[in-house]
Amino acid sequence: MAANYWESTQRKFWTFSKQQLAVERKRIEETERNLVNMYPLPDRRLLSIYFYHQLSKMARPLGIRQQALATAQVYVRRFYLKIEIRRTNPALVLATALYLACKMEECPQHIRMILAEARHCWDTSFNDISKIGECEFTLISEMNSQLIIHHPYRSLAELQTQFQLTQEENALAWSILNDHYLTDLPLLHAPHVIATTAMFLAVVLKPTQGGLQGHAAGITSALQTIGNVRNAPGQGTQNRVQKLVDWLAESSVDMEAVVECTQELISLYEIWESYTDKTCKDQIAKFVKARGLDK
Amino acid sequence: MFTGYNTKKRVNERYKIVGFISSGTYGRVYKAEGKNGRVGEFAIKKFKPDKEGELQYSGISQSAIREMALCTELSHPNVVHTVEIILEEKCIFIVFEYAEHDLLQIIHHHNQPQRQAIPARTIKSILHQLLQGLVYLHKNWVMHRDLKPANIMVTSAGKVKIGDLGLARLFYKPLHSLFTGDKVVVTIWYRAPELLLGSRHYTPAVDLWAVGCIFAELLSLRPIFKGEEAKMDSKKTVPFQRNQMQKIVEIMGMPNKDRWPLLAAMPEFGQLSSLAAGNARFHRPQGLENWYQACLKNNQYPPGSSPDNPGQEGFSLLQQLLEYDPQKRLTAEKALQHPYFTVHEKPTENCFADSKIKYPVRRVSQEDNDIRTSSLPGTKRSGLPDDSLIGRPAKRLKEG
Repeated sequence: MAANYWESTQRKFWTFSKQQLAVERKRIEETERNLVNMYPLPDRRLLSIYFYHQLSKMARPLGIRQQALATAQVYVRRFYLKIEIRRTNPALVLATALYLACKMEECPQHIRMILAEARHCWDTSFNDISKIGECEFTLISEMNSQLIIHHPYRSLAELQTQFQLTQEENALAWSILNDHYLTDLPLLHAPHVIATTAMFLAVVLKPTQGGLQGHAAGITSALQTIGNVRNAPGQGTQNRVQKLVDWLAESSVDMEAVVECTQELISLYEIWESYTDKTCKDQIAKFVKARGLDK
Repeated sequence: MFTGYNTKKRVNERYKIVGFISSGTYGRVYKAEGKNGRVGEFAIKKFKPDKEGELQYSGISQSAIREMALCTELSHPNVVHTVEIILEEKCIFIVFEYAEHDLLQIIHHHNQPQRQAIPARTIKSILHQLLQGLVYLHKNWVMHRDLKPANIMVTSAGKVKIGDLGLARLFYKPLHSLFTGDKVVVTIWYRAPELLLGSRHYTPAVDLWAVGCIFAELLSLRPIFKGEEAKMDSKKTVPFQRNQMQKIVEIMGMPNKDRWPLLAAMPEFGQLSSLAAGNARFHRPQGLENWYQACLKNNQYPPGSSPDNPGQEGFSLLQQLLEYDPQKRLTAEKALQHPYFTVHEKPTENCFADSKIKYPVRRVSQEDNDIRTSSLPGTKRSGLPDDSLIGRPAKRLKEG
């Protein structure tokens, strides 16, 4: 389990194909057809960005670490794969996911502190710890008590030593890992595949190119490099990239999966350009208020 | 969902409670039979709410969360199997496979009415199975942290199962030192010297010390280091467990920097020298070998090298488990390769194989058979207390 991803509940029960995800989501939407039609929501990735901002806002004053934040993000994603979002108060779900993730990642926070931060950053009206306590039951129950999450950070740390990544490359790879929680990748691929993708992108993109969001173009060229790996191992151009390319070609890492991860990240960075806090906030507020979900 | 948490499974629809087994700091354990097509016997652990008398959701304790997550994830023939977890109206139930015996009960049975040694073959099989379960846990970065006879289950088919993962946790690159999480771990008699000396970053080796203590107890039928626990003071500072450390030193002798190079770095190192003052036995410790020979003799293991005697290999294994320096202590994997397990015959898969001894079945009390509405755990002392032998130290403290 913790050491053994292959035996984990994450691999056995929480890793899907894209098609499976699509089917499952369609099924949930169908059960709430009226709600879905009545309250349109922004793209899932934009919502994820908004959720991430809200989680960070709660986490920062409490000094909560990235790994707990990442676990909370995975919990939220799993939960909304089972429950239609318009039936929930996302503020409560996020606060609860963070509360639970902190316990699981061995950096527990008192439920009152979580409640206080949630109220502070959502100006929400739930003001009772029992709301979080009850939502915790729902969250755990929907996840079938499968709470241990395998993150790609560990694999990245191993790759970093193996390939002697520079500090900048490592930092870039880390932030790519942080970003992948905004996509479905944690439900689609094994942590080592995601870590490999992040490392590869970091090396190919070069950290000097500034902000990440503008990276779609860079990633596209990276994709071509991966294409070369598959077609003609050993034919790369740059030395450093060459070493990686050779390793990728020889390793058992699933190249198709790395390509898929890369594409997923490109489309995240593309859609990110259209992100505004306000749209997400307003559209969520609409169904929450109208349905009295914050009561 | 926000009209309240909707229970999907109900414990009373799925199980018939046969009786109450025990209670502890965590809650209560019941024996149950399957209902509506479910067959077999089960042990159901009901967690007590975080606060006594809590009628509202107040957040699940971290140890319950850990146990639920680990039980769901783990699967090994020598770790108690979790059948399911039921969350029902503010209560949490973990349903386990049922085990008729545990090591505490087995040791108890051999002490009464008069002392009669546990057969050497039984001990070898128990230890072998226990270590296999532990290898699995440690490979998966899980430290048990509360191994003791009461937590080692044995089925009527002689299969040993590590139970009670309430204190277990993952130890891969913790975000905080393990000390920060739980100030006190492991029931005092089984607590490793590095814990007694205040180590902040302890390792799975603490579980191997406990295995050594359990091995010794199976041989002698008494806890080998039976110290008295110093209670936490009102400021919640952790006291130095002077008496427990004394008990260890009386047999093992004083630890020193030659045997344990990092000894002086232990936070409570300074306390050690004061132990010796005025205690003659410190300068003439019994020595583990003398303890071992006396124990075999007292319990009338037949002399000479045979499968009926734990032998020199048994001593050698015990000595390497009760090694002061956690870095030198055997790992679970290394312990399994010890000659003790290969000399004479291989350990049996059923620890009761070739044994004529009949162990009594687990006692269950009929006083409290309503798992849903029963009085809150700990408020009523019916059935067996937490650890059913008188004089067992109370379990761990809640984490801070």
